[in-house]
Amino acid sequence: MLDTRPRLLSVGTAHPPRQYRQEDLIRLYQVTDPRLTSLFQSSHIATRYFYLPEPGPDGKAPEESTGDLLKKHLRGAMEIGPLAIERCLAPLGLKVTDIDYLCCITTTGYLAPGLTAHLIRRMGFREDCARADIVGMGCNAGLNGLNAVSSWAMSNPGKNALMVCIEICSAAYVFDHSMRTAIVNSLFGDGSAALLVRASERDERSFAPKVLGFCSHIIPDAIGAMRYDWDDKQHKFSFYLDRDIPYVVGANAEKPLTRLLDRHNLRRRHIKHWIVHSGGKKVVDAIKYNIGITEHDVRHTASVLRDYGNVSSASFLFSFQRLLQEGRVRTGDYGVLMTMGPGSTIETALVRW
Amino acid sequence: MYETIDYAESGDISTVTLRRSRINVAQLRELERVLDHLEDYGKTRVLVLRGHSDGIDFADFDPREPMDIHGFNKWEKLVNRLERLEKITVAAADGPTVGGGFQLFLACDLRVCTTNASFALPEVNLGFLPGMATFRLAKYVGLGHAKRIIISGASVSADEALRLGLVDRVVTDLEGGITAAIQTIAAGNVVAATLARRLLNESYGAAVEDAIGHFLAAQHRALNQSAFLETLKKERKNS
Repeated sequence: MLDTRPRLLSVGTAHPPRQYRQEDLIRLYQVTDPRLTSLFQSSHIATRYFYLPEPGPDGKAPEESTGDLLKKHLRGAMEIGPLAIERCLAPLGLKVTDIDYLCCITTTGYLAPGLTAHLIRRMGFREDCARADIVGMGCNAGLNGLNAVSSWAMSNPGKNALMVCIEICSAAYVFDHSMRTAIVNSLFGDGSAALLVRASERDERSFAPKVLGFCSHIIPDAIGAMRYDWDDKQHKFSFYLDRDIPYVVGANAEKPLTRLLDRHNLRRRHIKHWIVHSGGKKVVDAIKYNIGITEHDVRHTASVLRDYGNVSSASFLFSFQRLLQEGRVRTGDYGVLMTMGPGSTIETALVRW
Repeated sequence: MYETIDYAESGDISTVTLRRSRINVAQLRELERVLDHLEDYGKTRVLVLRGHSDGIDFADFDPREPMDIHGFNKWEKLVNRLERLEKITVAAADGPTVGGGFQLFLACDLRVCTTNASFALPEVNLGFLPGMATFRLAKYVGLGHAKRIIISGASVSADEALRLGLVDRVVTDLEGGITAAIQTIAAGNVVAATLARRLLNESYGAAVEDAIGHFLAAQHRALNQSAFLETLKKERKNS
């Protein structure tokens, strides 16, 4: 029997050209409250990449309206989205005209038609390219997307499915000198990641992990813990992160993981590689101590957080890319992918090389 | 079932006895198997590791072949798994505890021995290294003693081991010593104990800012386990 499970064949990432250190943000937005500056200084993030407006003569970043932010989202997405796609396809010798299914994921800007339509027009995908836009699912969305993309790939063997996570978090920023927005502004960064998924017997010899299964977990009581909703005062959408999120996520992380592994008759000791969303220092700590994995297991999660901040749905693919670049993965190794976000949700996937 | 070790379960206590005094590949594999079993076996709270060990069996190595470092990697992974096992672990020594045996001893939470016991890491004198005892030993005895023990290969008596903090108690009767050690953790909560152990082991390598985050994550896990919530109910009723 042919093995028609989809494989993750290539990953490409991109970020805006301008790099910012945390001190740059403090200066640009003239954060003076020591409670807020300490958030920027202690968040285990060294650098991030953004699309931020040029500072005015006072050295301060000018205010961006909701309209400006939405335009920035699309403009930025059309810059770093195509870059990530090209970097993903090039190693496989594929062109965008080879893509049969395109799935775009974003939470940082609402638009219709969605990013898939804009990317198809910008990059010249075929007109019969099937597409889906996943909008508003937050940091976990990459695995919700991968679940859909993998199913599509599995039912369309040999066809090329491309998933692209594009997050312009700087288009979701509100600077009002409150704790609520400082938590968000000190954490998120802009970035995109593209992943080529295909179920084909011709990939049987390629060194790419097969997707074995997914397991979701939603905590309905914590629906308000992470949300992106309208702030009447600022007249903008504003992201909110409850301070208990790390603990809610930590206390529940074991549930989907155990179900996922049980279903495949595996134990945690069988998992060689952990690709965990770089949600923030506390979230990553909560995962570590609740599922019993080590600092070493989350080394890529931590280094991606340090270098890019939390790039929302794209984060786990940055870690996945670093794992591949490290060159330690061996045939037969199992990996668990884990993302968490609004819902509140924990998404998991099991892969094997 | 096992040839190089004995394994027994009694209530919530499991006991592994090293039957072969020289560590070889077969013993390593059997210890891996027993850890596989224990990791899945929720009934066991306490693991007792006993027997004596003279260290590595050189019969497994062929001087005509290039030395294989991967076997040492497997060994270190095993010791690491023992150190991270979600049971309270008690090591009991009743004779020479040498090389790899000493390393297993260092990976356990509580350590007891009889007056017959002695501890040594002769590897350096033989021209190689005593595994990750180079990482663990100084945490028990301090850098100075660790250097002396590892670099000279000198044997440490039971009394000296007690003085250095390598063992918690020295007894004349091993069975009694094990029983006494287990009694001290009769009320021990495995989740809290193993989280505390992890934080203690990590305390030598973490910045205090990171350690606070780790502590809070671990504390939250401990507070939300059903056993603690039961304790809380009882304590509130009694107060």
